[in-house]
This record gives sequence, C-alpha cells and structure tokens, in this order.
Amino acid sequence: MATTTHPTTPVTPPAAPPAPAAGPTSRARRRRVPGVGTVLKWVVLGLVALVMVVPLYIMVINAFKPQDAIISSPLAIGPDTFSLEYLRAALTSEKFNVVRAYGVTLLFVALVNVCGIALAAPVAYVIARGRSKWHLGLLLLFVSGLFIPGQVTLIPVVFVLRVLGLINTIPGFILFETAATLPVTIFLFAAYLRTVPRDIDEAAALDGAGKIRAFWSCIFPIMKPVVATIVVLNSISVWNDFVSPQIILGPSSGIYTVTTGVYAAVGEFSTDYTTVFPTLLLAVSPAILFFVLMQRHIIGGLVAGATKG
Amino acid sequence: MATTVPLARARRRPAARVWRDRLPGIVMGGPAVLVFLAMFIVPMFLAFVLSLTDWNGYSLNFTFIGFDNYTEAFRNPRTVDAAIFTAVVAFCGTVLCNAVGLFIAALIAGNSRANTLLRTIFFYPYIISSLIIGFLWSAMLSPEGAVNGLLGHLGVAPLPFLTEVTFAKASVILTIVWAHFGFNMILFLAGIKSVPTEFYEAATVDGASKWQQFRNVTLPLIAPVFTVNLVLTLVGLLKVYDVVLALTDGGPAGSTQTIVYQILRDSFGQSELGFGAAQSVILLIVTAVLGLAVTFARRGAEKKVAD
Repeated sequence: MATTTHPTTPVTPPAAPPAPAAGPTSRARRRRVPGVGTVLKWVVLGLVALVMVVPLYIMVINAFKPQDAIISSPLAIGPDTFSLEYLRAALTSEKFNVVRAYGVTLLFVALVNVCGIALAAPVAYVIARGRSKWHLGLLLLFVSGLFIPGQVTLIPVVFVLRVLGLINTIPGFILFETAATLPVTIFLFAAYLRTVPRDIDEAAALDGAGKIRAFWSCIFPIMKPVVATIVVLNSISVWNDFVSPQIILGPSSGIYTVTTGVYAAVGEFSTDYTTVFPTLLLAVSPAILFFVLMQRHIIGGLVAGATKG
Repeated sequence: MATTVPLARARRRPAARVWRDRLPGIVMGGPAVLVFLAMFIVPMFLAFVLSLTDWNGYSLNFTFIGFDNYTEAFRNPRTVDAAIFTAVVAFCGTVLCNAVGLFIAALIAGNSRANTLLRTIFFYPYIISSLIIGFLWSAMLSPEGAVNGLLGHLGVAPLPFLTEVTFAKASVILTIVWAHFGFNMILFLAGIKSVPTEFYEAATVDGASKWQQFRNVTLPLIAPVFTVNLVLTLVGLLKVYDVVLALTDGGPAGSTQTIVYQILRDSFGQSELGFGAAQSVILLIVTAVLGLAVTFARRGAEKKVAD
C-alpha cells in the first residue's frame, strides 16, 4: 500500500502526535499524513457547523439589542448596545405571559405522560403476554395509528370533542394528545415486555397477587428504561406541538402553550425584532436546556422509537 | 399440586369463570382501546363521512352533498397549487435531508470528542418547535434581516428571500433541511455504528479504499436504516405546516401554501370543514400509498443486498 504524498501541497504539520505503533501499519501510516481529503473534510464540517450555530448566536445576542443595532450589525454586541430591557419587556408582555405558558405547557407534558403511560403500559402487557389472534389484532389496531397523521384526524376530532362537550377544554386537549402518544408507546412497551421473563408473572401469582396488582407492583418497575425513553419522546412532541393546542384549545379558551403563545405574540409583530428575538429566546431556552441535560437519552430514545417503529 | 389445579380448571370452564379469567385483561386493555377508538379510529371514518357534507364546524346540523368536495378539491386551483408545492417540498426535502444527513454521518462516525460535539451541533434544531424555527429564519431572511445584512457587508445587494416566489420556495425547503437533517444523521450514525468492525478490517485487508468500503460495506448494511429515514422524512414532509406558517405564512401570493396549510385554513379560517375533511382524506390516502410504496420498493432493494 503506497501512501502517495502530494508534492504540490505544502506539507501540513501533523496535528496529532505520531499514531501508536501498535495499530496496523497501513492505518497508522495513512493517519500520519493529513491529505487533501482530511483538510477538506474539516473545512466542510466547520462550515456546516457555522451555518447551524450562527442562527442560535444571532437569536441570543439580538435579544439584548435595540432595533437599529440589530439591523445594522446583526452579529456584533457591545457594552454600548447591550440592554436587558427587551428581555424584561418580553417576560412581562401582556400578549404572551411566558412564565404562565411554561407552567401550562409543563402541566400538559406531565399530564399527557402520566395518562399515556397509565393507559399504554397495561394494554402493552396484555398484548405482550397474550397468544391469541385477538392480542395480535389489538397490537395492529394501535400500530395502524403510526401511519395516520394527526393533522388528518384533527377535523373529525373537533367533531367528536364537540359532541362530547370537550372542545376548547383542557381535558379534551389532554385526551387527544394522550391518544396520539399511544401507538408509539404501546409498540415500544410491548416490544420491551416480550423480553421480560414470564417467571416474574408466575412468582407474583404464587404470592397471591392478582393480575393487575402483579403488573403494577412487579412488572412496571422493571420497565424503567423504556418508560424513560417514552417520557423523553412524548415530552418533546407535546412541548413542540402547535397545531393541536391552536385548534383544540383555541385562542377563545385563553389558554396558551409556549408555541401558541409565541404565535400570538410574534405573528403580528414579525418586523419588530426587539419583540421577536427575546420572545423566541425565552421560548427556546427550556428546550435547549432539556436537550443539553438529556442529550444521551433524547438521541437514544429517538433512535429506538424510529428504528423499532 | 401447583400444576394440576390450573389443568383441572381448564378442562371444565363454565362461562362465568371464562369471563372472570378474561376480566383483568379487559380492565387493563379497555381504557386505552376506548380512548384510541374515540380519538383515532372513529375520527378516521368520520373524516370520510364529514367530507361528504357541508359541515361548518360550529353547529351539529349539516347536509350531505355527495362527492362535491372531492371534485372541488381537484378543480380548485389553490388546492392544486398547494398539492404541487407540497410534493416539491416532500421530494426535495427528503432527498436533501437524507443526502446531507448521510454525508455528515459518514464524516463524523468516529467516536472522538470533536465528533460528539459536531453531532450535538447538527442535531439540536430538531428538538426546537418548527414554528419557532420558522420565526427565527423569517427574522433572519427578511429584507433587512441578518442574512441580507451580512450580504451587504460583502457588497451583495439584498436578496428577496421571502418576497419573491422562487426564492421563498427555496427558503422554505432549505429551512426544513437545516432543521431536519440532524435527525436523519442520527439514524444513519446509529446504523453505521452497528456495522461490525470485522467487515471493515476484512475490506482493508482486501485493499479497499475508504470510498469503496463505504460504498460496498456500509451502504448495503445500513439499507434498513435508509428505508426508515426515507419513509419518516417523506411522510413527515407531506404534512409540513408549522414552519411555513411562521416563515412565509404561505406567501408571497400564496405560492408557498402547503396542503395542510390549505386544509387548516379552509377548515378553521373559512369554516368549510367538509371541504377540509375531503382534502384530509385525499392526503391520508396519498400518504399511506407513498409510504407503503417506498417501504416495498426499498424492501426489494434490501433483499437484493442480502443475497
């Protein structure tokens, strides 16, 4: 294996110390010479990374600047233009009570998680333990939901909720969001429960526990990892959902989540950047914080949800 | 003892006892089935029923008007334009998200610290609401926004990113790619990392170049991940809405309205829920057909690889 060095390129000094001799020689030799390919690779990655980060940077710094400074120098910030006034204005805006929206959205996230898991876990257990065609049919019923886009059923859901008298109410919204989480939740739960040995069920039965009690006290605690995955997936989707709260809760209910609140606050003033950037910053911060803290779980959960589903 | 009792019970099973054995299962499964039926299955059939009516969304009185809403959907130029733009977004978005996602994943598949950091940077927009991403890019791409400000420093005249038809369409697609390719990248990374290292060692011994290894070892082995990525992106983009609402609000002159934008505006803006329902049913059928078609086409490709 000849490692061809390009005579025309000036020799770039190797950034890393010589590779350990233990590795296979061909690989070690290749790594020692950072070829055009390697340089190109890092240039491309650097440029893409810049494109990804600059919008976030622009959003953060421009949340602290007056309108004319945002327009004249969007990338710069100095002590002369820095001000907390706009962020404070956004925090206390009458159009969009951010703190309240955080609370409302968090409450919805918690309720949907609790309801979704409480409904999905037992039915997934029944499906995972059952052997008849009924159980398979039940699984297929729920899995079919994976292929029905929520926006498509939204119109008839409004009809159903109107008949039930739950339109523009929190229970109606929670009911719809909970149902929307069921397909993925049941699918992942059932797949996980198939790996839980039946011995545990039998041990619980010998101790005299009924089927339902045996499930909640012996099986459910074992499901912690998959429950964590589902909580992560559901939390992101409920936190970011815009269409369902906008349509089901509606502006007439006076209940705003973070997304519908941002829409109400920014929608009309999209050229007043002193409103836009602080509002967006406030809306995004919790999601970014959650991402930084839970990155491993989020990525693992998404991969599990997508590849098993 | 323990084994003989259930056997004896199973031999003669009075109806009451059968039901008593089934009761726990029904109690455990019932609520979920009820909620799912009420919020998913019944609405899906109702969507079809409502699409044959002139329901306005408020009253519970409406009349059946046959298939008028469907003929209207195919005749209405706004719906047809929205359908075409949605198809363009779905096609270009799926191709670009997967191309960029796969390319970047191949570059940062190693386990170094720099790669972990890059993975985070490329992925983070995915956990931000598309509505907020739309507003952010809308602020940056506007005539006096940050992008035009930077172009001005470079001596380039301002570009009509959101105010000219072709530019606006491209802006919508590129914003979607910016926000979404990280998700495709994550799935590709998971696929690439699941390839056993022996395969690469064998290929290296055979003298395969990096590109040959990628082409002949990695790509065939991640074929299932490829299918998942294609289907999820395609199905997701067919119902794209939030980002368009925030970025262009369907403008200029309605040129960036997508089909879901159209459905929601007709249904809740114009109170023509019957017409909206008809368009939803068409979208549901198109989504299902395309999703299944891609899955089966790819299954053929996956099989060919396996042979």
